[in-house]
Amino acid sequence: MMTLCFTGIRSFPKLWKSNPYLGLSLGHSYLSLFLKDCYGIREQRKWFSLKTVSAQNTKAVNLLVAKSRYVRKGDEGSNKEVSSDSHLFAAGAARKRSQMNPLREDHALPPVRNTIQLPTKPLNSEEWDKLKEDFKGDANFASWIISQMAHSRSSVDVAKSLLAWVAAKNNGIVGYDLLVRYLYLCVFHKQTSEVIDVYEIMKARYKRLEPGAYTLLIQGLVHSDRWKEALLLLEDVKKVLVPSVRNYNDCIEGALLHQDVSLAWNLYQELLGRDLIPMLKTLKAFFDFGKNVKDDQYSNKLLDILLYLRNNHLYPEESFAHSIKTWFESAPGEQWKGQFTTIKESGQCSGCGKTMESIHLSPEEYEFLKGKIMRDVIDGGDQYKKTTPQELKRFQNFVKCCPPFDIVIDGLNVAKTFPKARESQVLLDVVSQLAKQNLQLLVLGRKHMLTQHSRWRKDEMKKVQKQASCFFADNISEDDPFLLYATLQSGNHCKFITKDLMRDHKACLRDAKTQRLFFKWQQGHQLAIINRLTRSKITFQHIPSYNTVVQTTGDSWHIPYDEDTVERYSYEVPTKWLCLHRKT
Amino acid sequence: MREGSYMPIFLKMSSSITLRSCARYLLPFTIPRKRSILCSAILQRYMSSKIPGVSYPKKESTSPPEQLGLDGWKITMKSSVQEEDVSPVSSSKDEDPLAAIRELIEMWRLLGKEVPEHISEEELKTAMECVSKSSKKKYLKYLYIKEKKKKANQIKKEMKAATREKAIREQLLETTKDDKQQNFLFLRLWDRNMDIAMGWKGAQAMQFGQPLVFDMDYDNYMKPKELKNTVSQLLESEGCNRRDVDPFHLYFCNLKIDGAYHKELVKRYGEKWDKLLLTATEKSHVDLFPKDSLIYLTADSPNVMTTFKHDKIYIVGSFVDKAMQTGTSLAKAKRLKLATECLPLDRYLQWDTGTKNLTLDQMMRILLCLKNTGSWEEALKFVPRRKYSGCLEISQHSQEFVNRLKKSKTFNSSPKGSLNIHTQKRWLK
Repeated sequence: MMTLCFTGIRSFPKLWKSNPYLGLSLGHSYLSLFLKDCYGIREQRKWFSLKTVSAQNTKAVNLLVAKSRYVRKGDEGSNKEVSSDSHLFAAGAARKRSQMNPLREDHALPPVRNTIQLPTKPLNSEEWDKLKEDFKGDANFASWIISQMAHSRSSVDVAKSLLAWVAAKNNGIVGYDLLVRYLYLCVFHKQTSEVIDVYEIMKARYKRLEPGAYTLLIQGLVHSDRWKEALLLLEDVKKVLVPSVRNYNDCIEGALLHQDVSLAWNLYQELLGRDLIPMLKTLKAFFDFGKNVKDDQYSNKLLDILLYLRNNHLYPEESFAHSIKTWFESAPGEQWKGQFTTIKESGQCSGCGKTMESIHLSPEEYEFLKGKIMRDVIDGGDQYKKTTPQELKRFQNFVKCCPPFDIVIDGLNVAKTFPKARESQVLLDVVSQLAKQNLQLLVLGRKHMLTQHSRWRKDEMKKVQKQASCFFADNISEDDPFLLYATLQSGNHCKFITKDLMRDHKACLRDAKTQRLFFKWQQGHQLAIINRLTRSKITFQHIPSYNTVVQTTGDSWHIPYDEDTVERYSYEVPTKWLCLHRKT
Repeated sequence: MREGSYMPIFLKMSSSITLRSCARYLLPFTIPRKRSILCSAILQRYMSSKIPGVSYPKKESTSPPEQLGLDGWKITMKSSVQEEDVSPVSSSKDEDPLAAIRELIEMWRLLGKEVPEHISEEELKTAMECVSKSSKKKYLKYLYIKEKKKKANQIKKEMKAATREKAIREQLLETTKDDKQQNFLFLRLWDRNMDIAMGWKGAQAMQFGQPLVFDMDYDNYMKPKELKNTVSQLLESEGCNRRDVDPFHLYFCNLKIDGAYHKELVKRYGEKWDKLLLTATEKSHVDLFPKDSLIYLTADSPNVMTTFKHDKIYIVGSFVDKAMQTGTSLAKAKRLKLATECLPLDRYLQWDTGTKNLTLDQMMRILLCLKNTGSWEEALKFVPRRKYSGCLEISQHSQEFVNRLKKSKTFNSSPKGSLNIHTQKRWLK
């Protein structure tokens, strides 16, 4: 009792400091305080454990919900589609995975603090004065109200009456910010004559504008007869900054609108020359315009655009895909026929039966990627970051001595796939199942897996080592680079098993081209465990045999496209295709 | 202008807009330039006079003067000269890009963007060298904030000066009243005495203090901005150390003479740099000290620091890492085969958000506190409060630990971490 009291006294000031708002009355004795603190902590711990349990429960519930949703979705299509839906790299898969995450909170946007009812009709000066009196804020009233109007897209007349009121108060002068916001409204409501008026005013008053106003003016002017002046504005932008792809898009749309085709192409070339990635809208505009052009040169340029999409792994949106289809079908005398389809697992188009390009890399690409992975991902300028030179030597010798592997397993990732099961047990199950198929296996892990632990049983790890070659890296080394290296070193037939999406390693690669190569190789070689029905029946997701990319055989085109309703992440590929072929 | 001499035409709202846009073509502006001033005067009178402005729900009139009421401002805007002061430069067509960017910034300012009001030539050049639009904007925002702070400080200074003057005047009035002789023991030379005392302590630390190494070998991992931040943190740490009861003997190792780091330090310290009571050297820490007594502190280390050891030399990497280059300092330690440790943040604190990389001055304070008291609870108070939600009660945990030690009969004098016992054994060998 006595000691307790002492510790209580000793920790009293600390308590006082750490909980200044406990609202302690002076009547409390130190002892009770101390005890309370202890119990409080203990209770907290209990509460934490409770919380985790509840989290798991919600997770389970969510899973059920997601599953039911999933099944309902599956009713629409065939069962086969469901299985292809759950593919790691299929569009929308990440979105689905995140929906299973119980911690997702929908952050509702805070309501806009709108103290004033925005006028819907032009007001006169007294009414504006009155509104200004009602306004309680530290901002400039006129600036505030016009930005609110721009937000809610008020009519141009209301904004104009505001500007007239401001001008009357201010010797006929309207500030630049009001003008720009007014211009925004004019452009939004397509009031071309007003845009031209504002353009004249700006030209008269200011020597140079800023990118916001230039963008709006370009957007507004390209629809008018004075569209050529938008090009002058584009030149003005270039003097200080790189124009945005939107600026180029507007100018190109304007040029096409006024039938100046060569100018449009020149602008497009200039855009590409600046290493900008054009908006898909721009490319769509070329196709839409192409319907009425019967000219081989123009057609060839459109085919170049399709090749550009191919080389940069870009995918058109649904409406763009429709435009492409329409253009192909409008070609005279060529009899193109387009349809929207999917590709079977075998890599054959459901529409025309043609086989898609293989997912496998060419030998040159393969060698190139191997070198890059070695240099950028494993070495990365400092071998000590992910491993040590000694370990790297040890590993390289190990890989050289062993026969080429068929499957490389990320031991830790696989073992932790099923949180309820024991790690070493899961790993053993996977290894045994694959060993029965007479495959050469390599299990990569870390040294701590070998020490006896409740989750890592020594006898099970011994069985694993009997059935597969194993390599254990240091505990502070990374194992993924070794996995990539071993797989690549074994050759094109070798696959690897992990659920890791390898995005951080992809990011280590320097240029976009190599990253795309890596992604292609990853799609073709990564197995992921989907589920485990029984101990000896573990299913992997299938590996697509074909490459999802715009492709042609001369008399047929296959173009993957993004559906409007599906949210695709950057490391996923579309599942829907546009199939075009010549009727023979 | 024929005000009032027209017959107002009343129309329905729905058709007013179309008619108005037609009116534009029907009634082109026929106002000669000369009369624009007159026009604006009339306009003002018109706006301010109490003509019953068409109020809704009455029907709108679309007569010419009303039209002018809405469009009048355009005329004045067009006719008035450029009075907007946009740095008058030569109106030659091929002006230099510096002037162009200056104007751009000015226009951004008019739009209410966060850009500075005044900008020097050098800053303009820096802004021009920014590669992308977003980096330009970032840099300008930085300048804008800097300018704002400067202004606020200026205002504060003036306020203070005013109050001081007032106080002095009042005091003058008072002192004339009672001109008493007062007895004091000391002259007011506190600051100087403090400095001298700290100097003595520093000299003592140079002779007998425990070394603490700042590893300066990160200058090629950092951008200029990060390097500046690092130097600020170093200054702060050095100041903390100087004021402490029992300071460390600081070493700045791997400090390349005339490198970016050295230059910045000399710039910030001025002539005090040569009188600082610390060791700055181009040599590495492995050249100065025995390898087995060095411990590299890094948040990526797998080993957790249990106690502060007075016979070891701790190394702190002076590195501000905003680009999230994880594992850089751990890689350095691995290369030199040094022991590494990280602070036991997770053991003592309920970590909330933020990186576990602490700033150099926080590290310094924590180490000093550990050195003087040895209590983790006290030392980890220097971790920013926003990063953790509360302290974990360790007393329970360590009590159990002591009990377990007692059971296993390996209990020696004080409950320390197993790692410590391990090292003691190694020392005996």
